[in-house]
Amino acid sequence: MPTRDMRQPLPMGVGSLTRGWAAVLALGVVGTVVGIVGYAVERTQGMVATGMRDLGTMQGATWGIYIALVVYFVGVSFAGITVAALIRLFRLDKLRGVARMAEVLTVVALILGALAIIVDLGQPVRGVINLFRYARPQSPFFGTFSLVISGYLFASLVYLYLTARRDAAVLARRPSRLQGFFRLWAAGYEDTPEQRARDRRVTFWLALAILPLLVIAHSSLGFVFGLQVGRPGWFGTLQAPAFVVLAGVSGVGHIIVLAAIVRKALGLERRIGRDAFGWLGLFLLGLLATYLYFVVVEVLTIIYQPGVIEQRLSEALLSGTYAWLFWGSVATLVVPFLILAWMALTRTWRVGWLVTSGILVNLGAIGKRYLIVVPSQTHGQLLPYGVGSYTPSLVELAVTVGLFSLGAVLITLFMKVFPIVDLETEASTELEEVSA
Amino acid sequence: MTKRGVVTIGMILVGAVLMVWSYFVGAAPWCATGVECSNPRVEWAPALFVLGVVVAFSSALYYSIAKDK
Amino acid sequence: MAIDLDRCQGCRACVEACKIENNTPSAVFWMYVFRLEEGTYPDTSISFLPRPCQHCHNPPCVKVCPTGARFHRDDGIVLTDFDRCIGCRYCEVACPYGVNFFNWRKPEQAFADYQLKMDDPDLAAVTGGLIPPYRNPDLDELQGDEQRRTAGSAHYKGVVEKCTFCVQRVEKGLDPACVVTCPVEALVFGDLEDPNSPVSTYLRGRDQFKLLEELGTDPSVIYVGGTPPTPDAREIERPMTGVGNANA
Repeated sequence: MPTRDMRQPLPMGVGSLTRGWAAVLALGVVGTVVGIVGYAVERTQGMVATGMRDLGTMQGATWGIYIALVVYFVGVSFAGITVAALIRLFRLDKLRGVARMAEVLTVVALILGALAIIVDLGQPVRGVINLFRYARPQSPFFGTFSLVISGYLFASLVYLYLTARRDAAVLARRPSRLQGFFRLWAAGYEDTPEQRARDRRVTFWLALAILPLLVIAHSSLGFVFGLQVGRPGWFGTLQAPAFVVLAGVSGVGHIIVLAAIVRKALGLERRIGRDAFGWLGLFLLGLLATYLYFVVVEVLTIIYQPGVIEQRLSEALLSGTYAWLFWGSVATLVVPFLILAWMALTRTWRVGWLVTSGILVNLGAIGKRYLIVVPSQTHGQLLPYGVGSYTPSLVELAVTVGLFSLGAVLITLFMKVFPIVDLETEASTELEEVSA
Repeated sequence: MTKRGVVTIGMILVGAVLMVWSYFVGAAPWCATGVECSNPRVEWAPALFVLGVVVAFSSALYYSIAKDK
Repeated sequence: MAIDLDRCQGCRACVEACKIENNTPSAVFWMYVFRLEEGTYPDTSISFLPRPCQHCHNPPCVKVCPTGARFHRDDGIVLTDFDRCIGCRYCEVACPYGVNFFNWRKPEQAFADYQLKMDDPDLAAVTGGLIPPYRNPDLDELQGDEQRRTAGSAHYKGVVEKCTFCVQRVEKGLDPACVVTCPVEALVFGDLEDPNSPVSTYLRGRDQFKLLEELGTDPSVIYVGGTPPTPDAREIERPMTGVGNANA
């Protein structure tokens, strides 16, 4: 659908609404509404509407798919800021095309992670207030809420805002309905050499500051589980590093999928080239190899000479209740590994196969997150309570659909108010400077 | 050093001090054996920690956006 | 608290006493008694294991609580501040003993399973409206020096609760409900740090163990006259434990 007025259309499809875009948005809105309805049911009935129940005599799992989603979404956020930071730190200019969408993905994923925590709380309003009022550093949740959700989100927003300022200034010069918005974003940006030098300096230092924050943030999520001595399957030193690596796997997988969609939708075959995908593929391959190594270490540890409860847990994982999910998740990680390794060895990066790998590793990541959270509760009781069970209820599934849909809505909306790929003028001027 | 640099470094320092102070002094102590362990020494100290993070990263905004006089 | 396993006969009177004193909802067992079987038929043995909150000196639940709603009093009782709890249930997964219960339902729904409906016309004809649903008034008071709402159960939906050692009774110098109800005096309550308290004199010279002591939680519930449950132990009889599943 062309814009009605005669003004020149904005680049990257900003402001021009197409049928495909509207369809994606409509689908997302429907999914979001499903989620809101699900959450309304949960709030009015109490959390009895979920499949979660108490540990012990009630033989349930008190943390379920919501906590798995918290960990997953925060994991996805890893990618954006890492890729963006690596581009700045190592001057990977061929990846410039995916930097902006990676930053957007980080912000959206963090918002979803925060919402996933909120839907899991029995007293959400109190939660928002009391965490700021009373939060205790001794609780691993302190890191989750203060560093991950607040600090990391704010840092990512600052990063996204600053790196996009020049584009906003370029767009603000063109007459359009969004001109006022771009002018606000540009905040008096003047394209002077001093300003450019400042921008480079700021983004470099921000990237440098964000990288350690990122390791701390994802580790702190690992500590939520890894520090619990009373829960077999959780207690361990590998949790924090494994969380960081799996976060990278799911995040980079997400970027590949998003980049392919944007590339197709906006016709940016040249801007987001094969080499960009190749680099992302290699990055994903490296992370995946590391994580699979962790999986082998983990499995060997629980089957070699397990304690009594660990044995019950490992049997449930490897050949019992959770076996289908465990082996399914491992398969969705091994298959992409083989695909990526093949493409890396033959040096032929096919976008289709990369997207397949991206989707598969995310399925695997969700599965693995679920397997970290749930089995240790149902099969890891140290007192003779008997084996428990947990199945997500319809309400939980509805909220899950809602969260993913909300993410899609946020990204599709962003695409129409701001270029999701940074404008070439910026890349070229900066390139000139680099070579000069 | 320019005013821009001074203010930026100042903001980072203020943010860092807020974070360190609220984590180690303002918030609840690292213990689990008394009522005092459950209350922050200064109420809303965790909010100050978050404020510290925000101030520190806002320095980038200031550095980049502030106008030269 | 000391629990004498030689005396316990698994009658679960303590479980009932706890539910009545603290008004806990259905399927919530602050005090619970395992009825365990070990070995293979015909060489089996049966044992009983009462399980209140262990009120650890090094409590994992207190450490992980993000808001300080779960706290350890100077007298050793571990309590939950129902006005502060945000319902994240971290204490529940951190506790190796499985003593925490979450209020999945609103308080008024939580009792619907087993409480008489007082406005039922058939019932009103019998009682004439004279017998109101019982609710222990002591549970609404704020407890201790710190004046927090910690006693009793089901004040709000969406918060976690557990055994309080009947803090509302202890504050008045009384023993917990389970202790006074036990028909065989298998439970002994008192100050473990006071060498002359009933519990200290009871424990003197007896073999004792603590549950899952190897985890370093240092429980203040001490078992005498028995052995810890082996990994082989399994429950032979369970009370109704489901909540809200289908038509529970």
